[in-house]
Amino acid sequence: MTGLRRSPLAYLPRKGPLQSAGPLAASLYLGGFLVAGLLAPEPLVALAAALGAAIAGIGAGAWRAVRFSLGLGLGIALVLTLVNAVASDRGATVLARLGEWPVLGSVQVTAEAVAAGAMTGLRAVAVMVVAAVWSACVDPDRVLARMHRFGGRTALTATLVSRFLPLAAADRARLGEAAGLRGPAASPVTRAAMARRLLEGSLDRSVEVAATLELRGYSLPGAPSAPRPQPSRHDRRFLVCGVALLAIVLAALATGDGSLIAYPEVRWQAGPTTVVLVVSLVFAGLVTWPGAGRTRDRRP
Amino acid sequence: MTVAPKTGSRPRPLSVENFSYAYPRGGGLALEGISLEIPEGEFVLLAGGSGSGKTTLLRAACGLVPHFHGGTIGGSVLVSGRSAAEGGPGEMADLVGLVAQDPETQVVSTTVRSELDLPLRFRGQGAPARARAIEEVALALGIPHLLDRQVTTLSGGELQRVALAAALVTRPPLLLLDEPTSQLDPVAGDELIGLLRRLNEEWGVSVLMAEHRLERVLPSADRVVVMERGRIAFDGSPRGFQEYALASDPSLAAPAARVFSQAGADRLPLGVREARAELAGLDVPADGTPSGAPDRAPGNGRALSCERLWVELDDGLERVEALRSVDLRIDPGEKVALMGRNGAGKSTLLKAAAGLVGPVSGRITARGGMALLTQDPSDYLVRDSVRAELPGPEGEAALAAAGFDGDLDADPRDLSGGQRQRVALAIALAGRMETERLPDLVGLDEPTRGMDRGLKEGLAELADRLADRGAAVVIATHDVEFAASFADRVVLLGEGEVIADGPAGEVLSGGWYFTTEVARIFGVEGVIGVDEGALLLSGMLSAGEPG
Repeated sequence: MTGLRRSPLAYLPRKGPLQSAGPLAASLYLGGFLVAGLLAPEPLVALAAALGAAIAGIGAGAWRAVRFSLGLGLGIALVLTLVNAVASDRGATVLARLGEWPVLGSVQVTAEAVAAGAMTGLRAVAVMVVAAVWSACVDPDRVLARMHRFGGRTALTATLVSRFLPLAAADRARLGEAAGLRGPAASPVTRAAMARRLLEGSLDRSVEVAATLELRGYSLPGAPSAPRPQPSRHDRRFLVCGVALLAIVLAALATGDGSLIAYPEVRWQAGPTTVVLVVSLVFAGLVTWPGAGRTRDRRP
Repeated sequence: MTVAPKTGSRPRPLSVENFSYAYPRGGGLALEGISLEIPEGEFVLLAGGSGSGKTTLLRAACGLVPHFHGGTIGGSVLVSGRSAAEGGPGEMADLVGLVAQDPETQVVSTTVRSELDLPLRFRGQGAPARARAIEEVALALGIPHLLDRQVTTLSGGELQRVALAAALVTRPPLLLLDEPTSQLDPVAGDELIGLLRRLNEEWGVSVLMAEHRLERVLPSADRVVVMERGRIAFDGSPRGFQEYALASDPSLAAPAARVFSQAGADRLPLGVREARAELAGLDVPADGTPSGAPDRAPGNGRALSCERLWVELDDGLERVEALRSVDLRIDPGEKVALMGRNGAGKSTLLKAAAGLVGPVSGRITARGGMALLTQDPSDYLVRDSVRAELPGPEGEAALAAAGFDGDLDADPRDLSGGQRQRVALAIALAGRMETERLPDLVGLDEPTRGMDRGLKEGLAELADRLADRGAAVVIATHDVEFAASFADRVVLLGEGEVIADGPAGEVLSGGWYFTTEVARIFGVEGVIGVDEGALLLSGMLSAGEPG
């Protein structure tokens, strides 16, 4: 067994197409999955967005980030589903009556509340996988340079965009390590306590990093913008794919042929545009795989 | 060739006038009526106990206070004639370089090279100038081998050096340093002080440096400013400071001065060089009474036993050998300082003992259980009160064992550094004690960062108490003086291997770097502490008196 020193969300400078691509192209490409996952009208699209992003991450060599985000995302999805099942009494199909609870009163679990919670959870899984792949595969230095180039003069915004996830991931690794070192009689570290501590700590550290960035000269009056980063031969592939994904997502939303309506009864429908979107999302994930997009040598 | 006048009518690098400041969360004034002028090319040492206002003053001098911390100010802080309070850190960037205490929040890029490149890019420098500046600063700080490393794979000390290099690479006229040697090994610490002195002398860089380990810096400083409860308590020469410290707060005085003062000598030396000059003509004995445990037979390793231990760390790109064929046995009740250069494997050994990393070959066992406190005690604190962290009688027993005597309803993150450390240690101990019995092994990783000498003495007392109750206490530290004050035994690691293991008096004397100031003055094996040095010097002075 060996010890791991790096957070799974930390950027690794591999030579894959996604890592080589410019931050704009890579962000637009992953943005397609993000928008699809976030606005997913029904569960298949959210699942496909998470799956496509996971395939993209694995193709880019970020399997640790994918595994980590899936683990965390599924845990959060489960919590969201359970909380909604208990907290919401809407819905016609009663699965279980749990009697009188303090504060909540009469509690009953309905299939509709479970479906609504699970849908929100699936969206969260997709967002987390996309964010993890972005963090592990898109060079934050190039993101920072790009933000500076586009006239970003607020170090805090730049830090939150380019460094928050890696900082949070590093904090989580340290907090997790410390949680494992607590004595058995100390209060256990619940997910809620850890999440709160993580959020507070990461925001504090982001502010400190932003201060460092300011002192390094990020917003020096008259400071020249960082030079344009070297273009990559993979940029076009990711740009085209990202734009296409966004267009299909918007088309699917506009046609409205896929939907999950939870209340008063679960109604789930998926039309042809949804099917196209699902297939597109899954196949779009393959764009990051080595050899994808390579033109075949047709010489005899 | 003509030479420009040194200062002319240029504004001073730092001019503070009647400055007061209160943090937004209350608690009174953090700084009160501070007036301070630092001329070009002066090296000023900022001394004072923990919480005396040193860090706040440094923050004010670069505009972080009030811009990033909020709060209310009075008076003015001018940096090269510009108001730090009005301009904020963004406008101060070309006038000051800051190295803060926590190196992890001072790296903003992914690789060391890009970290050093970034400030130069922001200033629009061309590629050749940037390459040269990076190469030079890397050579000066001994980090050329780190240039292409990912910052996430660096140890705390390596990160500290990178943060320093990033602050120095643009050669700012004023350097603000907040305990820059706290995470550096003694070799890197001494090299840093030498480098700062060179920058100061050759480039006219003004330096304002807060530091607790004064013995390192005092001989290089032009002036010492002592802070006490947010006010300036002393401002004068290093020699005047020694007298002030011995009269008002002996814990601030450097070991050399304390030795000579305790021995009744008339003149207080500023450092090793002056002290050795004072000793010229006196008969220095060949050896003294060794400090620490006497030579003993190897124990059974009940607290910790390593046999041919190899540990590799995998950062996702490559595997690095962190520990190589380590053989080590530690018994309950021993007090061991684990020392070595940055990246030598100290933290890895503690983590391996706690089971956080496993061996690739060999064996490591802590049969009687282990409690480990990692570098940042705040990582253990996740609840709103001490009581919520440690409920019930077992929690109270752990707090008592760790020596915590503060408010149980306080938010742990609002406690002082020392109290926070004790709560975190209690969290690690809770439930691992069989009634009053501790685990056989208690490990602390770099616990003295940011601590003044008083707090370090408290920590050494805590280690004594834990050892008296049967626990082996192993502390990884770069602080040689602290190691000499608490340890019976010192284990020195180099490149993942044990290169020295013996009584503290033996290991911490006779060397160049891993040795105390007292040992460097006398060069007598076994004489490493102030009391032993004073005793030896008294004898030498008596013997040297005309009969």
